[in-house]
Amino acid sequence: MATVNGYTGNTPAATTPVATGSKQPAPPTKTVDSQSVLKRLQSELMGLMMGGDPGISAFPEEDNIFCWKGTITGSKDTVFEGTEYRLSLTFSNDYPFKSPKVKFETCCFHPNVDLYGNICLDILQDKWSSAYDVRTILLSIQSLLGEPNISSPLNNQAAQLWSNQEEYRKMVEKLYKPLNA
Amino acid sequence: MEALGSSDCNLEILETLSDDAIQEITESYDGFFTTVESLISGTGDSSVEDEFVSHVYCLCKYGLDSLVRDHFLRSLEQAFEKGGASSFWEHFDAYSEKKLTNYGEEIQVVLCKALEEISVEKQYHEKCLSIVVHALQSYKEQSSVDRQTSDTERVHLFSRFQSMLSSTLMTTLPQHFPEILHWYFKERLEELSAIMDGDGIGEQEDDCMDLDEKLRYKNGEMDVDDGYSQGKRLGHDKLVKNIGKVVRDLRSIGFTSMAENAYASAIFLLLKAKVHDLAGDEYRTSVLESIKEWIQTVPLQFLNALLSYLGDSVSYSTTSSDLTSPLACCPSPSFSKVVTPSEGIVRWKLRLEYFAYETLQDLRIAKLFEIIVDYPESSPAIEDLKQCLEYTGQHSKLVESFITSLKYRLLTAGASTNDILHQYVSTIKALRAIDPAGVFLEAVGEPIRDYLRGRKDTIKCIVTMLTDGSGGNANGSGNPGDSLLEELMRDEENQENVGFDDDFHTDDKQAWLNASRWEPDPVEADPLKGSLSQRKVDILGMLVDIIGSKEQLVNEYRVMLAEKLLNKTDYDIDTEIRTVELLKIHFGEASMQRCEIMLNDLIDSKRVNTNIKKASQTGSELRENELSVDTLTSTILSTNFWPPIQDEPLELPGPIDKLLSDYANRYHEIKTPRKLLWKKNLGTVKLELQFEDRALQFTVSPTHAAIIMQFQEKKSWTYKDLSAVIGIPIDALNRRVNFWISKGVLRESTGANSNSNVLTLVESITDSGKNEGEELLTGEEESETSIASVEDQLRKEMTIYEKFIMGMLTNFGSMALERIHNTLKMFCVADPSYDKSLQQLQSFLSGLVSEEKLEFRDGMYLLKK
Repeated sequence: MATVNGYTGNTPAATTPVATGSKQPAPPTKTVDSQSVLKRLQSELMGLMMGGDPGISAFPEEDNIFCWKGTITGSKDTVFEGTEYRLSLTFSNDYPFKSPKVKFETCCFHPNVDLYGNICLDILQDKWSSAYDVRTILLSIQSLLGEPNISSPLNNQAAQLWSNQEEYRKMVEKLYKPLNA
Repeated sequence: MEALGSSDCNLEILETLSDDAIQEITESYDGFFTTVESLISGTGDSSVEDEFVSHVYCLCKYGLDSLVRDHFLRSLEQAFEKGGASSFWEHFDAYSEKKLTNYGEEIQVVLCKALEEISVEKQYHEKCLSIVVHALQSYKEQSSVDRQTSDTERVHLFSRFQSMLSSTLMTTLPQHFPEILHWYFKERLEELSAIMDGDGIGEQEDDCMDLDEKLRYKNGEMDVDDGYSQGKRLGHDKLVKNIGKVVRDLRSIGFTSMAENAYASAIFLLLKAKVHDLAGDEYRTSVLESIKEWIQTVPLQFLNALLSYLGDSVSYSTTSSDLTSPLACCPSPSFSKVVTPSEGIVRWKLRLEYFAYETLQDLRIAKLFEIIVDYPESSPAIEDLKQCLEYTGQHSKLVESFITSLKYRLLTAGASTNDILHQYVSTIKALRAIDPAGVFLEAVGEPIRDYLRGRKDTIKCIVTMLTDGSGGNANGSGNPGDSLLEELMRDEENQENVGFDDDFHTDDKQAWLNASRWEPDPVEADPLKGSLSQRKVDILGMLVDIIGSKEQLVNEYRVMLAEKLLNKTDYDIDTEIRTVELLKIHFGEASMQRCEIMLNDLIDSKRVNTNIKKASQTGSELRENELSVDTLTSTILSTNFWPPIQDEPLELPGPIDKLLSDYANRYHEIKTPRKLLWKKNLGTVKLELQFEDRALQFTVSPTHAAIIMQFQEKKSWTYKDLSAVIGIPIDALNRRVNFWISKGVLRESTGANSNSNVLTLVESITDSGKNEGEELLTGEEESETSIASVEDQLRKEMTIYEKFIMGMLTNFGSMALERIHNTLKMFCVADPSYDKSLQQLQSFLSGLVSEEKLEFRDGMYLLKK
């Protein structure tokens, strides 16, 4: 009986990480879903590649279509002009019904981005809709750079400095680390 | 020095000598000196000789015989140096400034004369020497020493004399003398060769001789026609005797090796000239046999005669006796005179033959490129080369030299891909003859293949070459005659059991056959490049190897086939069927499936076409302006199996359009539920244009026809209006209109801008503006194809890949080729999915690098900033 107990006791412990880990492949019951996610992501990739929006780009990592790397460039006439930021996008099996996790990989001095790269953006949280896709997320983040939401800052220093655009620009330049360097 | 040495030895005797004796010695010593002098100079009479002998006796009595010998020889040497040697060289002084080539005829005379003189002198000296020997001998006989020693005395003295003589000559040898000798032998041999050539092949060979030789030949001993061959024989013997005499004289004055060198080099030179003469630039006949024959008849005959004249063929017998000539087993009839060739002759023969092989081989290798261009007409030359190489084993020379000439002459921007391919195929065939194992072919083929891979039209040319036999091809680049594929097929039938591609034919039996045919690789084989069994010479395989895969070849063929089928106005597809069948054998049923469907479409179309026409004949009478369905034939395609077809909008004139839709309706009736969709811009139209003063016939594309038909109603159109009516863009219209302008059917007159230019029909030839139009014609009309070419398809696919590559590099910074390849494989799955090889990707990436879109650094690709 002890062995049976031990066995049954072990089972939830073994399955928990599977259920919680968003990067893990879908359990067998969700095969159909995962197939459709795959298809959706593939077509998004194709659209993104063929669309050719300037200043935004994303591509899946070599072996996992659920993990993407993204790149956005700061828009013209903003303090972020001429900078480039790397992001990571992680999709769950529920995508597009659940928003992907999006983080800045490179340091970004921005009122709505914290030191760890977490982003405070409504469409990535409560305002998410399955009509959004990688392209719109990237475009939103790109415009967020130029138009931060000062009222709910993650980086207070940045929020306070925002009013002084000249100083802010200097700060951006100071903290900016070019990609591929 | 020697005199001193000998008196040292006799010191004891000296002490015992009485005054009288000393007196006697001194007297005879003085007398000996004077007599020697007069004897050598030949001034004294016979009494001198007696006196000399008595002095010798006297000196010998006192044991001074060594003094006699040494002094006599020294005197001879001095005399010879002063007289013979210097006068001998004086003969040649006049020639010291001249070049090798122009010693002229008189040198022969001079040489003979000089040799004669020196021989006479030498004979005289020998006579003097024999007097001494005789004197010494008779003294010894008197003092009853046995004869044996006196013979050694003689041999000893003469050999000292001989070496003294030759060393004297050698030390005073002028630099140009060996050259003179060489030249002398060369001339004599050429003369001899001319005489011998007259023997059998004289008539043709006459032209090859240089002029003065010919003259000599004519003024020679045999200008009488009867007794011709006898005269020749005599001439030959006489000449050999002359040469023999010279050689003997040269030997007698110690120039044995110099003489031998001279005539050997002359023979080789002559042989070389002969080989060049016979072989030259003629590749269509085999020359090896005639060269061998010539070796037998001229130089060997000469050597034989010379050696037997000199009577010293024994001098060669020191060499090992197991030397055999490759020809010894089959002596040529012309050599029957010598039944058992002596060792010397056999050795000479081997040397000469090797030299001939090597010369011919070098000659052929240097011209291998031209020879292969001429292949298969030049196959005798290839066969010769093969034999030479078997003998000399200098294959690597061939490979190196051929690769160099390939790079220099063939693999250049100026050579057309078609020419390169033809040369490649000829090379394969020719080298296969030389070396069936294909080892050298591999080395030689490599640079050609590499080069061809860099050319864009390679695939197209290969496919054309493979499949296109007699004319009717899209590019106009094929050779008339059978297609290569047919030829390969025949080859294969001839040499049964040679499977074309291991992938398709490997079964146990085949494997066993392959195994049983195994032969060790030649030593020259590069062990890194696989063994013989994989190196089977397979022309098709080698061509496919250039392309990369058979799929690509099949794909290209499909495009070509589509183009051809679409341009057919009858349903005659016999040649295409045969080609597809042949390709099926080589590439398998599966890969040719689409082509088969295309052919079937044609066959079906023929049937459907007849059915529709039959059905329509029962219908109503033709109304005015309505065209009979008989003028129409259709080709009905199963679109999915055809390569992408270039679709261009086209509005056909009303009656035609009506005809087509009627046809389509009938098709629908017969083949419900299928519907016929016309590709209006494809196909051909045969039309006849009737003007006021002439009628012209054309076969043109439907677009061209639609354009000209508009002029039936209205004589002049602006570009703009015409383009609206026909439904094609102005630039496309422009191209088509140029065709009609160049034919003198339309004329362009300038309007306000190019779009409002007016086109007018030229009704009568007198007012045609034909001449201006002529220049526009160039290269415009044939450039149209209805099928998107493989390159176009590839380019389209590659633009998608380019975007993906840009995308991934934006987000990952720099990536290695392998990773880009894998990522594309992984994510570029939508239509068309990524199916390129690593090599194709690499060449595509380097294209992007050269367009400055990418950068390549340390094995990684990154975006160019």
